[in-house]
Amino acid sequence: MKLYLLIPALPLAGFLINILFGKWFIKDKANWIATPAVIGSWIIAMITVAGVMAGHRVSEDLYTWVISDGFRVPIGFLIDQLTAVMLVVVTTVSALVHIYSAGYMKGDKGYYRFFAYLNLFTFSMLMLIMSNNFLQLYFGWEAVGLCSYFLIGFWYEKKSASDAGKKAFIVNRFGDFGFGLGVMLIFITFGSLHYETIFGKLGMIAGQSVSVLGWTVSLPTLIALLLFCGAVGKSAQLPLHVWLPDAMEGPTPVSALIHAATMVTAGVFLVARTNPIFNLSPTAMAVVGITGGVTALFAATIALVQNDIKRIIAYSTISQLGYMFLACGVGAYGAGIFHLYTHAFFKALLFLGAGSVMHAMGGELDIQKMGGLRKHMPVTYWTFLLASLSIAGIPGFAGFFSKDEILWQAFASGGVGRVLWGIGTLTALLTAFYSFRIIFVAFHGEFRGTPEQAHHLHESPASMAIPLVLLAVGAVASGWVGVPPFIGEMFGVENSNLFGAFIGHVVSQPAAHGAPGQEMMVTAMSVVVGLLGISLAGVFYISKPGIPKALAKNFSGVHKLLWNKYYIDELYNFIIIKPTLWVAKSVLVDTTDGKIIEGVVNGVPRGIGSFGQRLRKLQTGVLQNYAAMMALGVFVFVAIALMILVGGVKG
Amino acid sequence: MAPDDLRALLPFMILAASPVAVILAIAFYRGHALSFIISIAGLLISFGSLFYSFRYAPRAVTPLLIIDRYSLFFTGLILLATLAVSLISFGYLENRSYRRGEYYALLLSAALGASTLVASSHFASFFLGLEILSLSLYAMVAYTRGSRFSLEAAFKYLVLASVSSAFLLFGMALIYSYAGTMELAGLALVSRAGPSVFATAGLAMMLVGIGFKLALAPFHMWTPDVYEGAPAPVSAFVATVSKGAVFALLVRYFSAFSLHDYPYLFWVLAGISILSMLIGNLLALLQNNVKRILAYSSISQLGYLLVAFLASGPQSFAAVSYYLASYFVAMLGSFGIVAVLAGPRGELVNLEDYQGLVWNRPWLAGIFTGMLLSLAGLPLTAGFIAKFYIVSAGVQAGQWALVLVLAASSVIGLFYYVRVIAAMYSKRLEAVPYGEVPVGGGIAVAVLTVALLWLGIWPSTLIGIIQRMIYGN
Repeated sequence: MKLYLLIPALPLAGFLINILFGKWFIKDKANWIATPAVIGSWIIAMITVAGVMAGHRVSEDLYTWVISDGFRVPIGFLIDQLTAVMLVVVTTVSALVHIYSAGYMKGDKGYYRFFAYLNLFTFSMLMLIMSNNFLQLYFGWEAVGLCSYFLIGFWYEKKSASDAGKKAFIVNRFGDFGFGLGVMLIFITFGSLHYETIFGKLGMIAGQSVSVLGWTVSLPTLIALLLFCGAVGKSAQLPLHVWLPDAMEGPTPVSALIHAATMVTAGVFLVARTNPIFNLSPTAMAVVGITGGVTALFAATIALVQNDIKRIIAYSTISQLGYMFLACGVGAYGAGIFHLYTHAFFKALLFLGAGSVMHAMGGELDIQKMGGLRKHMPVTYWTFLLASLSIAGIPGFAGFFSKDEILWQAFASGGVGRVLWGIGTLTALLTAFYSFRIIFVAFHGEFRGTPEQAHHLHESPASMAIPLVLLAVGAVASGWVGVPPFIGEMFGVENSNLFGAFIGHVVSQPAAHGAPGQEMMVTAMSVVVGLLGISLAGVFYISKPGIPKALAKNFSGVHKLLWNKYYIDELYNFIIIKPTLWVAKSVLVDTTDGKIIEGVVNGVPRGIGSFGQRLRKLQTGVLQNYAAMMALGVFVFVAIALMILVGGVKG
Repeated sequence: MAPDDLRALLPFMILAASPVAVILAIAFYRGHALSFIISIAGLLISFGSLFYSFRYAPRAVTPLLIIDRYSLFFTGLILLATLAVSLISFGYLENRSYRRGEYYALLLSAALGASTLVASSHFASFFLGLEILSLSLYAMVAYTRGSRFSLEAAFKYLVLASVSSAFLLFGMALIYSYAGTMELAGLALVSRAGPSVFATAGLAMMLVGIGFKLALAPFHMWTPDVYEGAPAPVSAFVATVSKGAVFALLVRYFSAFSLHDYPYLFWVLAGISILSMLIGNLLALLQNNVKRILAYSSISQLGYLLVAFLASGPQSFAAVSYYLASYFVAMLGSFGIVAVLAGPRGELVNLEDYQGLVWNRPWLAGIFTGMLLSLAGLPLTAGFIAKFYIVSAGVQAGQWALVLVLAASSVIGLFYYVRVIAAMYSKRLEAVPYGEVPVGGGIAVAVLTVALLWLGIWPSTLIGIIQRMIYGN
């Protein structure tokens, strides 16, 4: 028995127990099954990670489901440095979210179902990151998507929730279609689905081209871009980002776990995992980097004007995921994964903090109706503040180190990288601004909600507060393992970028070339814009509250554009959904379905039924008839045989 | 007879001695448990001795029998299936007040007949094996002789089987008159010597005899009546051991014909295969009786097997062997459930009796679900891998028409399997008098379930054994 197998096995067991017995026996004790399962999984993950640090790398097929010589379905695990980082992120955040949910979901009638899905999600995510081959990755990928769909639509009686679930599912199909094609293409090209086999054979495809619909495309570029399609859908990058803001209809712990810390980062993980393929194609790398940069800026601008607290954080997530892709695009996969790791803590914390606020405000989401919450909810306020400082990139906090590394790597890569650096720095300004907009509007000033809400305000229970505090520790300290060398030297620490060295075993890290002075300049710039963003938010929402309104009035066109999220949903509605529905209605439902399919569907069973009835008449139960049938059979046999024979003799 | 011949024959001799031991024991002390234990011991020792005689294989023992990897593999399968049937039968018979001891003597003789069939290399041993098997089965089908259905079933089986044996014998005689040899290997001569009226008619008649034993359409008519009337463990035996042994023989000697050189044989068998698949699945749709559903299901399963057989070549050998093993497991399991559920007032065979089974006997309902899904060929069960092999053998041989019929009729088949499953998981109507689950039967179906999943999830073990059997290394 291999210990690491328990990491996914425990949540799976938790899921099975809750889904089988939850409804009748466990009911509101479901968390006592689910949470220990995930905590156990966390403990074993930590032991495994310690093993990886000590140099134990796992890479093996557990067993192969042999279907035929050509087609084998492997179940195998690869636990290397990249997997180790993901294990830390997934199990830690999942455990904390489980603890938090016990308080947050209390009294919900689907309590057991909620915990069962959370366990199933954790299991699927773990299978995704621990896989050693594309097929298992693909199964995990689809399974987390399915769990996400269940959990977004968890309150399925609410139409907006079930619509959002469907939207997430359908939008992801677009990306997964490309991803599926990519996996098939890989299998056809290499005859294998194992990462290691494929990466070992990459030499044979370098420089090859294939013809797709008349275009000649380099094979590595095609494979890389198809895989990236999946990443774009799962990680909500332009143009498939539309599902993530709507996904906020799900319970808030779900947003923290799935739509901030883990599932949405699977796309970044995929790109980092398959980095040898991406490295073969500068074109694909450029596409990844530019998609990331543009998405980062685009989502940050939308976040500036929104009022729904969860949607602001959702756009912030899209934007931060853009950073990670930006890093991958300039070849700094390590920096991207580092940001994924720090982001998981501060973003999960922001969501859980928002959940805590909603809990106190009776489900209120509009920050304009909050205000002054800091007095009533000190724990929520302080932890939220720490997370915001972290995301704003204030030195010493986790977000600072990871974002700084991305910006520096982008800058140092030169060429397009310089442009991406510019975009990233501008986005950092916007990030600081919108993050502190929440702080100043919701937590400072006067309370603007109803008197009823004011009366009800309270700090959340310990089961919710403790995860906040623990995540806050991560939001502050998780970056300390990746301190850039020039800062490390200031404190007399050698090799301070432990994280970079650790992950460097798996992903190629470009040797950032550039003078130390430049690195300091880049860092200084990002600190300055971070502070500037915070101060601007302070001016806008504390000292001169008239400014935002005046701006919205004077630049009403821009404001409207941002408020309506660049009208992307409307655009999709117009060019995709309406035509699809029209085709579905007039062509499929009315003609094909109504006339052709219904005719077949109803006609065939009817036909089979009546044919069967006729056949049955032969089955009389009378012995003589049976024997006669046999004799008839012989007669027909021999007759056929003789006819062929005679024909054969003649011919 | 050289001493090595006797060593090679050891499993068969042990198997032959066991029914004698059972009868002798009854003469001194009549006890159900005693007979049962003797037969279990006989089967186990015989199974163990297979590994011993394996060292002397391949070996032709007299012109009548051939002991090689192939016959030892199928003998092993037959012994294990008989073991499962005896376990199931023990609990089943406990509930009934007939003389129970002799049943095991019949069961062991039937197993002996079946093993002789798979090892036979001569018309004489072929016919002897078949008759030992059939004669035991007549008595077994009628064993619960208080039941009118049981007697009727036995009578029908007796008459129709005799008719089919007559055809078989006549066919053998015609072939002998043509080829001048009674050895089954002589069948190959028939194909090489070119067309002849005698040989053609002889082959056709032999096929009728074989088709009857395999319950292939249009010689399938007896199957539902006999399966319904016979005690459930006996139905299980008829559906598996008796068919499997005949099929193994068919594969061994008729694949000696290169079927494509003998197109008429090929087309006739293709027709039988298509007819069996369609008739089995279509008629099963209309049944309300679980045993009849299983009977029709077994007709269609044998149709699937013929597809692999017609593909010919080593690939088809492997497909047939794997399919037979997985079919054995699922059929024994399904009839096993029917037997295990049988209450003191008789068997529960109507679909309504299974309504809501999951709330009363969740484990049995789960096991039955697994067995049915395997028969339907769904993934993670043995049936999926087995069907995959059959389809891939058919596709490699380019038998598109057969593969298409197979696919289409599998879809139809899914309906009635799901119908039974849906009944088990729906709300229950009223209290049904289920019997206590007997220990032996419970163990048997549990082991069969493990085997079912094992074959579905780790198919490589059995595939390895089969490939060693075929390629001999």
